[in-house]
Amino acid sequence: MKSVVIASGKGGTGKTTLTALFAHLAAKSCCTVLVDADVEGSNLPIALGVEEASCEDFKGGAKATVDTESCKACGACQTVCRFGAILRDEAGVYVFDQLSCEGCGACARVCKAGAIKMETGAAGSMCAGTSSAGRMSFGSLLPGEDLSGKLVTEVRRLGLKEADDCDADLLLIDGPPGVGCPAIAALADTDLLVAIAEPTVSGVHDLARLAELAYRFDLGVAVILNKADLSAEGADWIREFCAERGLPLIAEIPYAPDIAALPTMRFGWRDYEPGTASPGMAAVVSAWRAVGGLIGVDSRA
Amino acid sequence: MRSRAAADRCELADGYAPFILAVASGKGGTGKTLVATNLAVLWADAGLSVLLADCDVEAPNSHLFLPARTDKLTSVESKVARPDSQACNACGTCSDLCAFGAVRILGGTPVVFEEICHGCGVCVSSCPTGAMGECSLRVGEVSTGVAKRSQRLRLVTGRLDIGQVKAPSLIGATREEAERWDADILVLDAPPGVACSAVAAVRHADALLLVTEPTAFGLHDLELSLMLGSDMGLPIGVVVNRDGSGPTDIAEFATAQRVDVVGRIPFDRRIAEVYARGGLIVDELPEATSWLRTISSWIEDVAEGSAPSAADGLRERAGR
Repeated sequence: MKSVVIASGKGGTGKTTLTALFAHLAAKSCCTVLVDADVEGSNLPIALGVEEASCEDFKGGAKATVDTESCKACGACQTVCRFGAILRDEAGVYVFDQLSCEGCGACARVCKAGAIKMETGAAGSMCAGTSSAGRMSFGSLLPGEDLSGKLVTEVRRLGLKEADDCDADLLLIDGPPGVGCPAIAALADTDLLVAIAEPTVSGVHDLARLAELAYRFDLGVAVILNKADLSAEGADWIREFCAERGLPLIAEIPYAPDIAALPTMRFGWRDYEPGTASPGMAAVVSAWRAVGGLIGVDSRA
Repeated sequence: MRSRAAADRCELADGYAPFILAVASGKGGTGKTLVATNLAVLWADAGLSVLLADCDVEAPNSHLFLPARTDKLTSVESKVARPDSQACNACGTCSDLCAFGAVRILGGTPVVFEEICHGCGVCVSSCPTGAMGECSLRVGEVSTGVAKRSQRLRLVTGRLDIGQVKAPSLIGATREEAERWDADILVLDAPPGVACSAVAAVRHADALLLVTEPTAFGLHDLELSLMLGSDMGLPIGVVVNRDGSGPTDIAEFATAQRVDVVGRIPFDRRIAEVYARGGLIVDELPEATSWLRTISSWIEDVAEGSAPSAADGLRERAGR
């Protein structure tokens, strides 16, 4: 089985839209399992629709809580906390800030009164279900929680299990934006990174950072220039960057009204059949063929 | 009150706190940087002193629209545990106590997984043989400088080293640097998402602008951001970017959630073209000033409540 991550340093370049279209195309010729690895903004389930999802809690890290009745206000916890999570209010009461607490337990260890407890709760959920283009795993982090990267790893593992169960040919992963912890978690052990770039100053800057990350992890990269006709100058920057770095620019997709309209359809596009009616969709089909060619998966669609 | 002369340049802060505006969104690519950079310029042109801190350290883009002359560059490090295997007796206390699974005894030798080490110091203080020490690991850098475009506008940019994972600690360092400088207003350009990075970028702000787009994706991610913002108890205003590009009704949703849509930027190919080449809509599109003023007037109203002097400044200097 092969795995492909659709990613971009910059957000909003079209990762989810293209993943959903590729998933529709892939469903025609190979057995694909989909993974939405953007757990802070999980949109692939909206695009493809998911039925009969079974979910489980994602356990977060522990958080410190204080029992103000037994607290002797000695301040030892505040001294030892390195995350600024323990504050003393005007009345001299120690207040624990859950958003800053990283759950290390240093405070609980030094509290002589035994007033501090480390409590673990759900920090999100991870799910698997059936979408209009095959089985899909996805997750959702509760706002304000940390461990985004760990949840990405769990969601990916769930996708791999689904893929094993159905003997899939392809694991198609919709990645998170950025180059940090969640992005690195999404890219682990991947056969190909498909970078979606837009022809803007930000687009070329963030593509360069993503390409550098892929180089560090020794990952193969292919670039798709999306919204290619938005700026002739910007498109040239992307083309030049790819040529300089020896990265294959496998497709240029024009800014096409029919593609751009897809994310605005809340429930409509799960039944959407990508055709080749528009120049934009023809470019998507040829991009998908190129991806299949690079990893050796049937992508005749 | 501070002197007007001080407003002409950003000077090191002496106890004066600027009004802090965070510009964020759950979804990426909705226009955070567009809104943050153009508002910063609108205010600087109106005579305010403005700080713009780019907290999207994984993909910092504000400097592309507002080039600055860097006058200070700081390397940012974070602490990680570093064991001395000679002094270690492999008792396993560190491994038992580490909440993150970052220390293990493998084959009688202590091993630290630096990517997941939080640098909390629990293993250091609990090691019976004193074998666990600490070292600093570079995670990125923070640069700052005055924008070439305006003396009254200072940029602070956090940039995560490629391959590093500790974005939240670098965001903290970026904000610390920004808060060392004096200004009327500090604009925080936040990263997308709702996890620890977004929290680090928008915490303790005076107001939160959430930029969204009228799509199913935009709406879904706005809902998550609203949860985060209301947890923090911040005044929230929603800006609808690419307004008119889709049928999704953000206003209806916002009303149901009891937040206000405080500005709209239309769906207009010219905006995308100006942005693409690194331009500012406030410079190139005559209508942009009125879109931005609408957003600014909401911020003035919020500042009126929490920081009246900043509100006066905003109003006076904006010429109203």
